[in-house]
Amino acid sequence: MNIDNEFAWRNELRKLGGDAQPQRDLWPRIAARIAVRPATQRWRMGLGLAATLALAFGVATLAWRAQSASTLPIAATAPAHGATSMAADNAPLAWAVPANPALAAASRDLDGASMQLQQALEQQPQAVFLVGLLNRTNAQRMRLLRQAPSV
Amino acid sequence: MDGLALTADVPIAELPVRDADAALVRRAVGGEAAAFEQLYRRHAGRVHGAILRLVGMDRARAEELTQDAFVQAWRKLGSFRFESAFATWLHRLGVNVALMDLRIRRDEDAMGDDDLQAAAGGEVPFCAAERGDLERAVAALPTRARAVLVLHDVEGLKHEEISAELGMAVGSSKAQLHRARGLLRRMLADR
Repeated sequence: MNIDNEFAWRNELRKLGGDAQPQRDLWPRIAARIAVRPATQRWRMGLGLAATLALAFGVATLAWRAQSASTLPIAATAPAHGATSMAADNAPLAWAVPANPALAAASRDLDGASMQLQQALEQQPQAVFLVGLLNRTNAQRMRLLRQAPSV
Repeated sequence: MDGLALTADVPIAELPVRDADAALVRRAVGGEAAAFEQLYRRHAGRVHGAILRLVGMDRARAEELTQDAFVQAWRKLGSFRFESAFATWLHRLGVNVALMDLRIRRDEDAMGDDDLQAAAGGEVPFCAAERGDLERAVAALPTRARAVLVLHDVEGLKHEEISAELGMAVGSSKAQLHRARGLLRRMLADR
């Protein structure tokens, strides 16, 4: 039988439509794949919160240090290089640099490490160990600041 | 869907299809994977069927793409606005996943344009075929011609929609359909 009109043609092709069940149950693999996402999101939220808290802690400490600057022997910036302490106070997340050269070198190392860790975290936000390292680095930096006045 | 508030305690099976889907979508958006599994069970056949035809009856590939489609659906559920039926939204998403795969593979065309043009002559009458023959013939079409034919003649999309999906001019979509039908006629006549 020849079918050479549009209606019959379309009718034949429409018969190809409709449901076609997969030959195997795809749900287990779909479930495994979608189960990753909420977990990842939770980790990211947790990591974001941890990083934010670490950041807030650092900023609060900086603010406290700036208020107490007149009584502490730590230069917010090195006066010999012509920078103003006001500029340093306004710089976000800039840690004060101890006047003692040995502590200043250590602080620069810690600041460099902290920056690298933050960059690594941006690239791999799911890496929990990086948050731990960042928090530890910031804690060491904080201890350095506390020790500085007695130097 | 305001009616859903009234049907919150009604078992899913007793709801009209569209309301049942909407209720399941709301639960899935809330993170309930079991609700999403029900959506999968209700719609896997339709989505897989469309994908299977678009990829030329390659079952393994169709199953992979069906998985991808449902994973994407899970990720995009929050953007579903309940303005259309969930089945329509999901079907379109599945078609998009298949078309994206076709665009990536670009295995067009074992058959050249000249062959397509020659095959497009409408003088060969279309012979009624068994479903299996027809499926095989459609599957043997060049990728782009097959995609247009399946979307237009089987899935019922308009040329404007097809051109948008495939990134081609409306005129190209019509030309591909003409060619695909010509090829199909010839293949079935040669059986």
